[in-house]
Amino acid sequence: MRMLLIMIIHLINLLVLPLFLVGVIRKVKALMQNRIGAPILQPFYDLAKMFRKAETVSKTASWVFLWAPRIGVAVSAVVAVLVPWDGALLPSGWAPATNFLLVLYLLALSKFFTMLAAIDTGSAFGGLGASREATISMLVEPTLVIGIGALALGAGNTNLLTIYAGQANPFVAILVGAALLLTALAELSRMPVDDPTTHLELTMVHEAMILEYSGRSLAVIEYASALRTCIFLGLAAQTLLHAWPAYQDLPILSRYAVGIAGVVALGSAVAVAEGVLVKLRWRSVPNFLAFAAVMGLLAALIAVAQVR
Amino acid sequence: MSEFELWGGSGSLCGVALFTWLAVVLTGLLKRKHSGLLFALPTIIGCAFLLSAALFGKNSTQILPFPLFLGDVGFRFVIDPLSRWFLGIIGLIGIPVALFSPGYLHHLRHRVSLGFVWAGLALLMISMVGVVLAANVLTFMVAWEVMALSSFALVIADHEQRDIRRSAFIYLGATRTGTAFLMLGFIWAHHLTGSWVFSEWGLSGTAALVPALLIFVGLATKAGSWPFHLWLPIAHPAAPAPVSAIMSGVMIKTAIYMMVRLFVLGNHFETPALGPILLILGAISAFWGVIFALLQQDLKRLLAYSSVENVGIIMMGLGMSLLGKSYGIPILTQLGLAAALLHTLNHALFKSLLFLGAGAVDARTHVRDLERLGGLIHRMPWTAGAFVVGSAAICALPPLNGFAGEWMLYQGFFGLAQNGESVGLRLGGLLLMGWLALIGALVIACFVKAVGVVFLGNPRSQEAERAREAGKGMLAAQVILALLCIGLGIAAPLVINPLGRIAAQTGSPSLLQNTWTIPIALLALILVGTIGVLAVWLRELARSLPAKRFITWECGFGDLGPRTQYTASSFAQPISRLFGAIYSYAVEINIKGRNRRHFPETVAVEMMHEAHLETKVYAPLLKSIQRMASVFLMRLQAGSIHQYLIYMAVVLGVLIWLGVSR
Repeated sequence: MRMLLIMIIHLINLLVLPLFLVGVIRKVKALMQNRIGAPILQPFYDLAKMFRKAETVSKTASWVFLWAPRIGVAVSAVVAVLVPWDGALLPSGWAPATNFLLVLYLLALSKFFTMLAAIDTGSAFGGLGASREATISMLVEPTLVIGIGALALGAGNTNLLTIYAGQANPFVAILVGAALLLTALAELSRMPVDDPTTHLELTMVHEAMILEYSGRSLAVIEYASALRTCIFLGLAAQTLLHAWPAYQDLPILSRYAVGIAGVVALGSAVAVAEGVLVKLRWRSVPNFLAFAAVMGLLAALIAVAQVR
Repeated sequence: MSEFELWGGSGSLCGVALFTWLAVVLTGLLKRKHSGLLFALPTIIGCAFLLSAALFGKNSTQILPFPLFLGDVGFRFVIDPLSRWFLGIIGLIGIPVALFSPGYLHHLRHRVSLGFVWAGLALLMISMVGVVLAANVLTFMVAWEVMALSSFALVIADHEQRDIRRSAFIYLGATRTGTAFLMLGFIWAHHLTGSWVFSEWGLSGTAALVPALLIFVGLATKAGSWPFHLWLPIAHPAAPAPVSAIMSGVMIKTAIYMMVRLFVLGNHFETPALGPILLILGAISAFWGVIFALLQQDLKRLLAYSSVENVGIIMMGLGMSLLGKSYGIPILTQLGLAAALLHTLNHALFKSLLFLGAGAVDARTHVRDLERLGGLIHRMPWTAGAFVVGSAAICALPPLNGFAGEWMLYQGFFGLAQNGESVGLRLGGLLLMGWLALIGALVIACFVKAVGVVFLGNPRSQEAERAREAGKGMLAAQVILALLCIGLGIAAPLVINPLGRIAAQTGSPSLLQNTWTIPIALLALILVGTIGVLAVWLRELARSLPAKRFITWECGFGDLGPRTQYTASSFAQPISRLFGAIYSYAVEINIKGRNRRHFPETVAVEMMHEAHLETKVYAPLLKSIQRMASVFLMRLQAGSIHQYLIYMAVVLGVLIWLGVSR
């Protein structure tokens, strides 16, 4: 019964938190720039507005263009449910479904279709965005696998549920959490890798890919990317929280609240970073992501030395 | 062995399949103009018999009766869970390929003798079954050579084109080199053990090393592993599409089969060096294959390089299996083996699907250059759909079939990171997981490029614009394979049992039952349900406000046409620039015109990429071999009949002396 209640809270949270998080990020960014900024609830209004609008679809587009957003949002929603906000939250029978490799490959499924949809309209911007997205994910994936793999070594299992149910080595947790945060900046098309708010399509990655979308489909995409923000920041927050020994002893609801606070805090941190940093030249993105890779490798080294 | 056992069970089913194909070979050689059902039907029936042998047959060892002997060595066959696994793969891929061929070969009818292709195809199938069933060196070598020659004949089928002749001779050279190594290895092993039967070999320690390495090089050449892969991206694209599908999907796997049979199962060659060698070469092949696949401009060459990648992944699994064996970690041995075998089956399915798709595109547009394709999803919707499924499967995306195999490999490496003896070994396990992830991301880039440039966007040439959907047989073949990719992905637990039986051949009882835990079918159901609900809801919204169709955003310049689309080479450029150390990569842009800055008249862009391995290692090596040949061999073969007569007399004398002295 208690479990069911928590699950319901969690599902409602998954509907609300992603858009709220986007609102918080925008608000903090506006404050950083000495603007008042839009209300925190603005993303909700935007989404409601976009769902009421008709969409325009390119004549060149095929079913790939039509179905990619739906596949993307469905995958993100399933992954958001599976990625545990806390080890105790999901029923333990779900553990195999929270395998981190499954999660990463499911996200790759949505990425695959997003990239195809970008090329589908025959627009050069879409191709450019897809090509860059492919490059970024090639730079990011190894770090993610090595980092979470290092974390999993402590738990003896590749299921996220098991990983986050137990205590982690604080060094490994901090290093992996930091690496996850850096890779999240790239995966979520945030500064300094990508700037979602420029005026020039040529400089963007994610926005260039979804340039052709409008109306309902755009709303679906926006929600999916808000969900992905939640997933990645949630992973990073959970990992960082595991460096804090007392976290495990909190009662479940306060742990959940701390987890959400962590996600919002990381979101604000991302916004602060966006206010301070400038966008990197495309060619220096690999150097930036190399930091994440090095942290992942260090974590792997520590984790490996500590087994047994 | 009683008469009943000799011809009962799977042996007889295989026999029926072989004789059906033999009939196809003979009719093919006699009726060279025919194509279609006359050949397709018996080929499919043969495959069906083979499949039933694989699924329901019993395990047995069979020795053919007396007249079929060479010296004192007879033909000897073995049917065990391992050979049945590969028999299943041959039968499974054979059926769609036979369905596809009549429609495809039709467009080659003026250049190629169709009956000849069918005869070659059937002979190739026969020889592959022979390799998989072989229990001793004689049977194996005969089947292996028939396989090499029949596939050579198929590659050179379209022999009026100079390129294809060149490719075929490179292929022939590669098979000869491989066979030379194999022969040396086998003779060495025979010398040490006194037996020609594989199962009677039991070498260990330093004695095992040299024959094992020789045999390995021979097999790796056939499998297309780095650095012996050079022939593969040249030969596979040159063959007609169904043949490429069989060669990439099945034929190169026979070498994998022999690696499993000789190195992984049983204790035929116990040498700790093999595991790391397979693992490292596999890791390099996988990376090398995918990075070069990404660079290719030719659809079939792209697919061929991707085969190098997948063979690399399979070899990584085998290497891990051997590593587990030498460190005494049975779960690693079994996971590695299971991952390798599962990936072998998966790769057979999606790679033949993709080659057939490329063949359908080739048959309808006569274009293989990526930069001249595009927009085919509107003109060939079924082919495009099947190709998308195959691409998603080869990217190992769940819930398709590629995922289970790669997931097992990940689990194996994770096991290595957990149970390895030294810190280095454990770190190696984690790093290999990262390496696999890197390769996975590159594969996604590669196949997004392939699908995107071939099927999506606007057609880049008239040929692509005029394309129409492939014929029914061609479509049926692709759809069957696509459905198999989906079905095998969702029903992954079904294959764990046969894999467990093979894993039990390693010596310890199967540990695989509890390894595959992911509820993939449920997950697929939930995904499809979510997408369905969403689609229904969006359709409701669309009822009041239907979507408008309009041109793609062109910044207000007016319709820009297909030339402004992103090209295959520009898509690959960011990644290919990053790995410039292993090849020379150059883009040459030539702009001509009186005022070339403002009014260019011709703009030509040329891309060039050459692997340092080819230009700096193989090319000088081949050149020096040629020089040696022209110095020494020219004297031996001077064109003088007197000299040749002396050779013959000398050889005859030596043979008689050998016979008498024995």
